[in-house]
Amino acid sequence: MTGRVDPAQTLAYVDDCLDPQARSDFETQLRVDPELRREVAQWESQNRAIRAAFGAPSRSAPDLGGASNENAVRRAGEAARPVDGGARPFGQPRNRRAPPPAIAKSPAAGLGPTARRLVGAVALVAAIVWVGLPALEPRPPAALLEAGASAARALADLPVEFVAGDPAAIAQRLGPRLALAPPLTSGLRLVGARLTAGWQATATLYLYENSRGARVSLMVEPIDEIDATPARRGEVDGLSVAAWTGAGYGFVAAARDGADVAALVAAAGADDEFLADAGAQRR
Amino acid sequence: MSLVREWCDDAGALRRFGLALVRDDRFVFDDVAACALIDKLFRQASLTLIDSPGADRRAARVRAFAQFVRLYRRHARRLAVDEDGGWVETPPSSRGCGSGSVAVGVRGLPLELREALLLVVLAGFTHREAAEALDLPLAVVIDRLGRARTRLAANMAASRDAAAAWPQSAHLRIVK
Repeated sequence: MTGRVDPAQTLAYVDDCLDPQARSDFETQLRVDPELRREVAQWESQNRAIRAAFGAPSRSAPDLGGASNENAVRRAGEAARPVDGGARPFGQPRNRRAPPPAIAKSPAAGLGPTARRLVGAVALVAAIVWVGLPALEPRPPAALLEAGASAARALADLPVEFVAGDPAAIAQRLGPRLALAPPLTSGLRLVGARLTAGWQATATLYLYENSRGARVSLMVEPIDEIDATPARRGEVDGLSVAAWTGAGYGFVAAARDGADVAALVAAAGADDEFLADAGAQRR
Repeated sequence: MSLVREWCDDAGALRRFGLALVRDDRFVFDDVAACALIDKLFRQASLTLIDSPGADRRAARVRAFAQFVRLYRRHARRLAVDEDGGWVETPPSSRGCGSGSVAVGVRGLPLELREALLLVVLAGFTHREAAEALDLPLAVVIDRLGRARTRLAANMAASRDAAAAWPQSAHLRIVK
């Protein structure tokens, strides 16, 4: 124990029994006395260890409405006491959310409910006429497009796992589940393939290079239960991406250059012969 | 916060305090008995709120803890009277209560030190409230608190040293 501070006062500080003035004085002393700080830290650590050993809630935990620690509640009550000295019921602080600022009434607020509905309907019709009806045809899932884009972003520039310029050789090495011969197009050279995580299953990432040496990827994911959908295009982190489905596969083409993606879509997505071949291979 | 919630929290605090304080399994046999005892103590304490409108919840809480302390002191004295007429508390039982070496160290303290320390640290009483619950002068409670803390810290340090020294002092038998 230190010789300068009364040990009883140290214990009272650690056990949170000092009044605010005495506490403030003690903390002033604490700032200049490292030995006292060490002693206080030791007793506080012991207190925490005892409470933890017997499953008592920590004193430093936020007060969520429980009154399991009387001292903490008493101090919270002191902090919440108004200047006029009137205590709140049960010594609890009243933590109420401040009322929201008043919102200026819109001109439509003065209308009756029927008139407001009518105005809303007219606005909806005008918006549909202005923008046009949304496409109601089935679309490939956005998650498939995201999966293909992230696979291209992470793996397209890495060395390929299966090196071959021959589509049939790649299909043979990938095995029966993924044995889909990749489409060939005139501007793109097939480099090889990698396995990757697809939207819902393992997928193959076919990698091509264009005339400038930039990589172009085509993710092919076998999904038995999926309907054929036309291409859905998008931009993800600077990559031009197109996703479509057909013949029990999900396809995602991704490249920096949108023309390369269009070429792959033309070679695989719009090519009925390719899809028919793919369907025949699945069967 | 509702009054019921406060009572539930107080009952939880008393239950933890009781589990940490009591060494002898014969005082409270099982969880059902412990719950019944705590319920009874708080019912008795709540009557003070009804009978005396001036008494606040804090006073009732102190009363419930004080009653528990008195009951256990009486139990311990009755069971453990030595030849000289003094009494020795039952050694700590092997009942699973608390966790780790801190719990063992606390339960190894003498009763008069243990009850002061647990009232303040575990139940969150102020020193003055602890003195009221233990029916002792404030200075005595503060003295006991200081002794309890020092002794617990020394015990913990000794057990740590023993644990650290064990690998060097252990004799390993060489098996050929």
